[in-house]
Amino acid sequence: MTRKLFALFVILSFAFPAFAADYPAQNVTGVVQWGAGGGTDSLMRPLSAIAEQTLGKSIIIQNMTGATGSIATQYVFDAPTDGYTLLMGAENPALYDILEISELTYENFDCVYLIGDEVVGIVVGKNSKYKSLTEIINEAKAKPYSVKISTTGTGGLPWEVGAFITDITGAFFVEIPYDSDASAKTAVMNGECDFTVCKVQSGIEDYKAGDLKFLCMLSTKEVATMPEVPLITAEYPDFAKYLPWGPFYGVFVKKGTAPEIIAKLSDAFTKAGPVESYQKVLANFNINFLGYSGEDAAKYISSWRENTVNALKNSGALE
Amino acid sequence: MEALSYMSVILREPWLIALIAAGTCAGVYVGAIPGLSGTMAVSLLVSFTFGWEQHSALAVMVGVYVGSVFGGSRSAILLNIPGAPAAVATALDGYALAKQGRAGEAMGLATSQSVIGTLLGVLALATCAPLVASIARNFHSIDYLMLSLMGLMMVGSLSGRSVRFGLIAGCIGIFLGCVGVDGQTAVKRFTFNIVYLNSGVDYVVAMIGLFGASEALSQITDMKATPVKQKVDKILPSWAESAKYLGLTIKSSIIGVLVGALPGAGGDIAALLSYDQAKRSVKKPSAPFGHGAVEGIIAPESANNAAIGGAFIPMLTLGIPGDAVTAVLISALTIQGLRPGPNLIAQTPDLFWLIVASLLVASFFLLVFGLTGIKAFTKIVEIPKGILMPTILILSVIGAYAIRNSVYDILWMFGFGIIGYFLKRFNYPIAPIVLGVILTRLCEENYRRGVMLQGGSVLGMLGSIFTSYISIALFVLLVVLFVTQTEAYKNWRAKR
Repeated sequence: MTRKLFALFVILSFAFPAFAADYPAQNVTGVVQWGAGGGTDSLMRPLSAIAEQTLGKSIIIQNMTGATGSIATQYVFDAPTDGYTLLMGAENPALYDILEISELTYENFDCVYLIGDEVVGIVVGKNSKYKSLTEIINEAKAKPYSVKISTTGTGGLPWEVGAFITDITGAFFVEIPYDSDASAKTAVMNGECDFTVCKVQSGIEDYKAGDLKFLCMLSTKEVATMPEVPLITAEYPDFAKYLPWGPFYGVFVKKGTAPEIIAKLSDAFTKAGPVESYQKVLANFNINFLGYSGEDAAKYISSWRENTVNALKNSGALE
Repeated sequence: MEALSYMSVILREPWLIALIAAGTCAGVYVGAIPGLSGTMAVSLLVSFTFGWEQHSALAVMVGVYVGSVFGGSRSAILLNIPGAPAAVATALDGYALAKQGRAGEAMGLATSQSVIGTLLGVLALATCAPLVASIARNFHSIDYLMLSLMGLMMVGSLSGRSVRFGLIAGCIGIFLGCVGVDGQTAVKRFTFNIVYLNSGVDYVVAMIGLFGASEALSQITDMKATPVKQKVDKILPSWAESAKYLGLTIKSSIIGVLVGALPGAGGDIAALLSYDQAKRSVKKPSAPFGHGAVEGIIAPESANNAAIGGAFIPMLTLGIPGDAVTAVLISALTIQGLRPGPNLIAQTPDLFWLIVASLLVASFFLLVFGLTGIKAFTKIVEIPKGILMPTILILSVIGAYAIRNSVYDILWMFGFGIIGYFLKRFNYPIAPIVLGVILTRLCEENYRRGVMLQGGSVLGMLGSIFTSYISIALFVLLVVLFVTQTEAYKNWRAKR
């Protein structure tokens, strides 16, 4: 009997190697829901490289792309709640259920660390006849569905902001979907589409070279690197109710993970975020540093979701 | 002059040369193993080199990139399993040569052509980057549509004996390419509510299954055939021979640079298109295409390596990646504090010339690592089947899993392996399936975009062809390619 119990103990101790007290006993996997070299990936790799020094074990990054990041989200959800599989994601899962991409959302995960968010702006090509957002809106109101916005598909950033604009102004656009934000931007630069919505990070260099014009920023305060670009609220004050708004980036574990493990992970990432070399990375990508964990992070995400869903419903983009 | 002084930096730092050499060598092996890709290796290096100084980080990444593009040809020639999608076309004639005991010659040829292709790509990058970049930037949806149609017309080239069989295989590929969430509308197609089907079929998985697993299955059922004894006396093609094919090499490299520079198409499509081009334009190949024509190695191998220089063009001049590896490199540069975009070359000319110099050095090491060890590699083909075939199956499983770390991809891979096995038994060609899976998205999404841009009018879309020189040129090319394939044209030619 004792021997049987002992055997059982041995088996169990192999099956559950991770007791919260001695976490981490092995390397941790960070599953990035977007491709290698993308915005999310570029923020997670350097952060993990610093955080693993506090954690004491390596964080191994895996890119698992596809279906707006829902493949990776499902994968982390299917993994045990032992803290060895982290979801490294952008804002997308917050809307999966609404967009019917997946039943999972960030409600099913605990946020270990919310890195920061990003400002986006309305952009046109250098030869565009539009000098302001108002001109675009007036044209679109005069001839509904004639002005072309290049998007990254249903659920993507330009699609969301397009819905906000429709909600506030009542103007309707033709949405032309592209496969990435780089190609949506190129479509505006070569004149295939009239305007798009662009992160400061992905448009700033074209802006400096004069190939792309930022008409306005969706932000409550001017962007430090482009102070001359007006805020959208100057033309449409009603936008204030949706701001600040922008894509965000964070590290998550499946709900049900032991609080001690979450605390250890949060601690490691919270120490890594403010490190000077990482702050430089954030500055290079024009990310507003937030550095939230626990309650703050949860509150940020739920209010982000509420604002976005309201706007999408009011514009008719969602039923 | 200024350029030379920037480039000479690399000669003054032996450390950089050592890094490029190490990168190239590692790249060749990463590229040769199906499922491990240059993109994976370079993105691993991004975290690894975080904290290094820029030049060293870039040098090792460029080396890996060049090595991995070439490495794909090794397994394509020896085992009929392309190590990367860009080597699919190489497998067609390369493996045929290996079966004739000429694997050494095929690998030598692939090496020398890859080196020449890389050099021509670098030449284009150094001399006409702005021109190529403006073509790439002004490539509209309709142009991508026409490019993908040209690609689909290659079903004819890849069909072997019967075009009808080729069309059926192509249709299977197109159907499988439709599986997954539609990127434009988020509608799920053929996913049966299984989350893992949402991301569709990865074409590398299709490739590993159709080429690798099916080859192992068909050889296992035919164990009596003895391995072919390989000749290894003639490895490096003579100067005279290289000169004889120089025209084809240059033509293929131009295709490689142009297609590589397009953000929506990379080395894989470049290699297939130039194989097609070779098949159409070479009057008297050394053997029929698909049965060991050396032209069938020259064209795709020079094109896929020339595509490297091509892919760097939009990356360095516009900040837009030309392919998956340059996408990772953009993020690596940003992490390093540089600002990829239209101002990059003006602000940091040293960086541009460092990349050019690294590519040159990498192509030299490609020659070294490509040619040494050929004799050892040819022994792989002579390994008894009882050992070799199970090894291939194991490698296929690992490769399929490694792409997205998904167990479902292993199931897909075996599914493709079994389909491939039966298709081979009944003499259907399998390359058109991979072609279909690769091109479906490109073709469909650009067609739909083209129509949407014209307010939902198909006629409007066709009319929009005549609004840009690029579109008109592509349209004329498309019509010529089509007409020259018709019976009527062939009869007319024969009469003249």
